[in-house]
Amino acid sequence: MSRFIARRLLLLPFVALGVTALIFSLLQLLTPAMRASLYITDPKQLNALPDIIRKYHLDQPVYVQYWEWLRQVLHGDLGWSETAREPVLTAIRGYFPATFELALYSFACILVLGIWLGTLSAVQKDKIVDHLSRSTSISGASLPTFVWGLVLLMVFYGHFGWFPPGRLGLDADLFVRSPQFHPYTGLLTIDALLNGQWWLLWDALRHLVLPVATLTYFITATLVRITRSSMLETLRADYVRTAEAKGLPRDVVVDKHARRNALIPVITLAGLLFVGLLSGVVITETVFNWPGIGRWGVTASQQLDIPAVTGFALIFAGMLVLGNLCADVLYAVVDPRIRLQ
Amino acid sequence: MSVVAQRGLAVVAIAVVAVLAYGTGARGAAESVRNPDTLIILTYGDPQSLDPAYAYDTASEGVIWPGIYETLITYDGSVLSRYVPRLATTVPTLQNGLISKDGLTYTFPIRQGVHFHDGTVMTPEDVRYSMLRFMLQDRDGGPSWLLLTPLLGTDSTRTKGAVTVQYADAAKAVTVEGQDVVFHLKHPYAAFLSILAAWSFVLPEKWAAAHGDWDGTAATWTKYNNPKLQDRYEFDHTNGTGPFMLQTWDRQAKEEILVRNDHYWRAPAKLARVVIRTVTEFPARQLQLQRGDADAIAVDRPDQSKVTGMAGVTVQDGYPALVIQVFHFNQKIDVAGNPDVGSGKLDGNGIPPDFFSDVHVRRGFAYAFDYGTFIRDGYRGKALQPNGPIIQGLLGYDPSLPKYTFDRQKAIAEFKEAWGGKLWDTGFHFTETYNTGNAVRQIGAQIVKDDVESLNPKFHIDIRNIQFSSFLQLTVQHKGTLYALGWAVDYPDPDDFAQPFLASNGQYPKQNGFSDPHVDQLVKQAAETADPARRAQIYRELTKFAYDNVLAIYAAQPTNFVVMRSWVHGWYYNAVLPPLANVGFDFYTMSKQ
Repeated sequence: MSRFIARRLLLLPFVALGVTALIFSLLQLLTPAMRASLYITDPKQLNALPDIIRKYHLDQPVYVQYWEWLRQVLHGDLGWSETAREPVLTAIRGYFPATFELALYSFACILVLGIWLGTLSAVQKDKIVDHLSRSTSISGASLPTFVWGLVLLMVFYGHFGWFPPGRLGLDADLFVRSPQFHPYTGLLTIDALLNGQWWLLWDALRHLVLPVATLTYFITATLVRITRSSMLETLRADYVRTAEAKGLPRDVVVDKHARRNALIPVITLAGLLFVGLLSGVVITETVFNWPGIGRWGVTASQQLDIPAVTGFALIFAGMLVLGNLCADVLYAVVDPRIRLQ
Repeated sequence: MSVVAQRGLAVVAIAVVAVLAYGTGARGAAESVRNPDTLIILTYGDPQSLDPAYAYDTASEGVIWPGIYETLITYDGSVLSRYVPRLATTVPTLQNGLISKDGLTYTFPIRQGVHFHDGTVMTPEDVRYSMLRFMLQDRDGGPSWLLLTPLLGTDSTRTKGAVTVQYADAAKAVTVEGQDVVFHLKHPYAAFLSILAAWSFVLPEKWAAAHGDWDGTAATWTKYNNPKLQDRYEFDHTNGTGPFMLQTWDRQAKEEILVRNDHYWRAPAKLARVVIRTVTEFPARQLQLQRGDADAIAVDRPDQSKVTGMAGVTVQDGYPALVIQVFHFNQKIDVAGNPDVGSGKLDGNGIPPDFFSDVHVRRGFAYAFDYGTFIRDGYRGKALQPNGPIIQGLLGYDPSLPKYTFDRQKAIAEFKEAWGGKLWDTGFHFTETYNTGNAVRQIGAQIVKDDVESLNPKFHIDIRNIQFSSFLQLTVQHKGTLYALGWAVDYPDPDDFAQPFLASNGQYPKQNGFSDPHVDQLVKQAAETADPARRAQIYRELTKFAYDNVLAIYAAQPTNFVVMRSWVHGWYYNAVLPPLANVGFDFYTMSKQ
């Protein structure tokens, strides 16, 4: 196992290098004048375009620019992001906790709901529960996120005033900027607990409800379907029939025997889902004004903020590799046959 | 999961939602003022820099001026032709002798007892330093040209990347004489006060130097010339004299928080705090305004109906903006590798590089453009049709001067005369461009296409939308054919519009291959003449020239509107204040009750 993990980790720098080189090269297909537009906020600045190209070395050969960028990276500097208005690493460190918090709560809900509904659907196959569960998950997959998000916002915030957009209300926002508050993790719910501020925890949770609900509704569908089909296959297995024939209660057969084996493919998917959530869910972040990494990533791409895009790609290539590795390890933990292989 | 566990989970979930909902409560329509000491503005652009010598975008300037940094003089409320003193004690005039008779010297007595936000006292040396810094920092595409041009006679400290300005010249241009700061102009410039009213921000020299900025000496200034965004401490730190101080600029949350300066040299502001937040999605802004969690929001014209009639919200409309939307004719198109000119010849399948150099072609387009439909569809009818680059609200604007109207017969007549009569029989084919996402320019481009093509089946115009980055490249490389770009006010003087649209060294004439020494002479004369009546006459002459020669289609001057909660008071419209939420805000005069 440790050799397996070590082998996968050794691949990490090569994957990161390959991804960033590819992105860097593709972006160089754009002319220097187009890449210089990042530094122009108003047409009045057009006359300065040649000087801007010169100043930011945008007319240098691609290998020179890439080598400069790589040299910076090796010194721990991912460069400056014009779109974030701060160093790329600082921006990632700033945006990531918000995305991580959203991803964590969403993932927990997706996992619990997805496995529960998928299991229920399989066990109650072709009954009303199964039909309801599948239609709900299909509607979640079919309805565009921004439509669902906006509807939730209009009803639960616009009409009832319960769950506002953004990450915190004004009073909470001012409090977390004050010297009385100590940010330990960047996750506001956790930090609120660690600071002993229950009202802050409630405020942070209130703001999480709608974006988490949107993501959960949208993504649970996939997990429900995988869990359901995996459970159905497992429930048809000989050992399950044997367990039932032995007189074990249905609950025990499903929970202790079938589900554990049915979860094997679910684990792989769950790992990928979590990494996907971590890379930022742009539409949800935009609809709910959530200061996450996805929204920044899209802005950076649109405005050709090359340091941001390549830095972003570097970090998330690494996370994807690690995410897959965790999924593979978990897979091996759950299934002894994989360990033996 | 067992049935008991499932039921337990459901009960917990319901309980959590109930507690959260109870903790919030729904709001009724009749509600007291939310956050009475805090003004919350939701906009959709975030600042680039808080350095007053670097910032040249409205999102940045709206944060720093006039809340954090103040100017020597400023406009008298909404009236742009009248000034009031701020960091100076008196507005210079010819009558009080603070403007010399030759118009080359402006003397500003500096106010005493004014403190910066860090507690230090403002001195005339700080004012001088700030003016020199503003000029000499001169970052690419920045605002430094605004002072460089009148004081040093150049719009840049550099030529092809190399510094060409001498420090001694700059040092002579701004001097301290006792408690006065004196500006020595290169040429008389009637708009100088107008520039200073919007751009003479003051920050402390010692504080700047202590934080790695220029120390104010001749020996070091070139090292601080043309910085990158992040090179200066002032990028995200402020130290002004204004009624508000910067508490936070949170670049992740896209939020700036200003707090009241209780040691302001005038009475402290009524508001304790101002929060400016970027919220890109209109529904989120709209809902927060509706709930009272925001006091003013940015609203695009097409969305105006969604906020009109909202309970507790007022919409004030009809404020003329000092902005113009223009469709430009490129009279010297670079056809090399240019996909937008077809064959590159006047053969019915393309256009030659000098296609738009024929005034009959330009006039034909000007008569063929349906201005009414453009204003109706692009601006919901809330715009004026200009008669040239000198727009309403500026000295010299004369509504009685002629402007082009949509007239198919006249358009046909002009096209029949174009290119010695050849154009009508040959036809043409080219592509016009606009930047992706700009709905107004898209509407305008479509109008041009539909109206011109309807005149003659041999006239073909395609439309191409391209990313802003590509669009910029296209125009700078002279590859644009007929394209839309506007102009927004830097300072409310007609020279700010005449120069970029008409002078040979102006932005658009340079891009579009236009040059006329007589026009240059007129622009220069109007800029240097102190007599307003004479200036107005020259600008009328320039407007007539622009009309006769059809340098562009001057399509629209939009009007502004503001959307605010009715509990906000003290706002006034000033067309020069950088728009944060459609319009600019002077937080000092505002309150909530």
